[in-house]
Parts: sequence; C-alpha cells; structure tokens
Amino acid sequence: MSLYNRISVFRAEQGISRRQLAEAVGVNNQTIGYLERGDYKPSLELAMKIARHFGVAVEVLFSFDRFESIAMTLKRAGEDE
Amino acid sequence: MKKSVIETLLSSLDNSLRWTGIPARVADEMADGPSVDRRQRPLRWTPIWPIAFSVALVMLSLLWPPALMSSMGVATWVMAPALGSGICAIAPAIYAFGPLGKSSLEDDERESALRKDSFLFCLGLLAVLNCLGQPLLMILAVFEHWEPAHSASVLGSVLMLNGTLFGSLPTLYASWKLSSLSKE
Repeated sequence: MSLYNRISVFRAEQGISRRQLAEAVGVNNQTIGYLERGDYKPSLELAMKIARHFGVAVEVLFSFDRFESIAMTLKRAGEDE
Repeated sequence: MKKSVIETLLSSLDNSLRWTGIPARVADEMADGPSVDRRQRPLRWTPIWPIAFSVALVMLSLLWPPALMSSMGVATWVMAPALGSGICAIAPAIYAFGPLGKSSLEDDERESALRKDSFLFCLGLLAVLNCLGQPLLMILAVFEHWEPAHSASVLGSVLMLNGTLFGSLPTLYASWKLSSLSKE
C-alpha cells in the first residue's frame, strides 16, 4: 500500500532544507529525500518526530490516499468563502 | 644502511596505503566537521567484475583437465589462482567504498533497513546456491571420477566464489536498490 506525504510542502512553507529537517529529527538528509519521494516508508517514531517538528498531527503529513493538490485546495477554499 | 632500507620500505608501504585514499577518508570522518557529506555512493557495476571473475574461475576448475592440458591452458591455470586472489582482495575495498561502507553505528532507520535487506538477500542467495551446488558437486565428483587435485581445485574456487559473493553482493544489491536523489 502506498503512503503519501506532504513533507516537501511543509518544508517549503517553513523554508527549511532537507539537511535542517534531517538534523532536527535525527536522520541522514538522504532519508528525508527518499521519504519525500515516497521511496521509503518511515517508522511510526520517525513519522511522529517529523509531525511534531512541523507542529501538526501525523495524518496531516501522511496519508494512504493521494493528497489534494494545493491549487485544488485553494480553489475550494475560495469557493467556500 | 640496513635501517635506511627498512625505513624506505616502510615509508613506501605507507605511501602505497595513502595512495588508496583510505587514511585520508578515516581522518576526515574522525574530524569534528567532516568535509564531505555522508552521501552513499552506489556502485552498480564494479561489484559485478569480481563476481564474474570468480564464476569464470569455478567454470575453469570444472573444465579440468581437458581444457587445461594445452600449454595455454597450463598458463591460464597458473595465473587463475593469482588472479582470483587479487579479485577476492578487491571485494573488501568495494564494500568499504559502497553504500554499506560506513559504520553501522551511524545508520539511521532507512540505512539499517537497507543493510539488513542487502545481507538477507546475499545470505539467502548463498544458502540456496550452496544447498544446490554442494550435492551437485559431490555427484559430479563421484560419477566423473575426479582426481583429488581436481576436487581440491573446484573446492578452492567455490570457496573463493563464496567469499567474493559475500563481499560484493550486499553492495551490489544496495547500490541497485538506491535510486539517485536530485540535489536541493
């Protein structure tokens, strides 16, 4: 089963590099790269560490379903307003 | 005079070791701020060479003696163990410079999973090859009436193949499992 994530979105939003995130959660920066690309499924511990670093719940960062694109989210938010 | 010869010999041995780049790498990794990133270096083709040579050596030893009775064959047979030993000696260097080369103490969870998978694959394949190969070789030895020297040469080359596979296969597996990452 595929595990999708939004690490790169959160990382870009906070303006931190892979290396900074890797150092914060105690892994090699390549591991962050493989995580973002979906080539590696993290352990629960690592997923929770990353979520805690961004200050969000794990399910905000990781999902078994594909995340909606940012453009679609913005469009929907605009329509709701 | 003798001392200077020994000193020259030792210093040339030191120089030959420096030439490999291993002392510099060790010193760099022991420094507080290593100059190079701990990037894994996939070696996708290099480990295939020692494995291929070791397989060729096993084939050569199985063809004993008809293919090796000619003068060319005898020369090959004399060269083969030397070549094989050299190839086996390369295997640790391949391991050291490959993706599994650094100390396992520094591994994060992805790296330790990759190391585990690579060795499981290698040991699994070695177990299957040995379980199938050993009875086959015994049957061949009995039915083909191998001479003791022939059996010894096959045994030696198979041992060499086992060593080479154990040294090179985990690196090969890990290198192919790692896809390249784009730089930020």
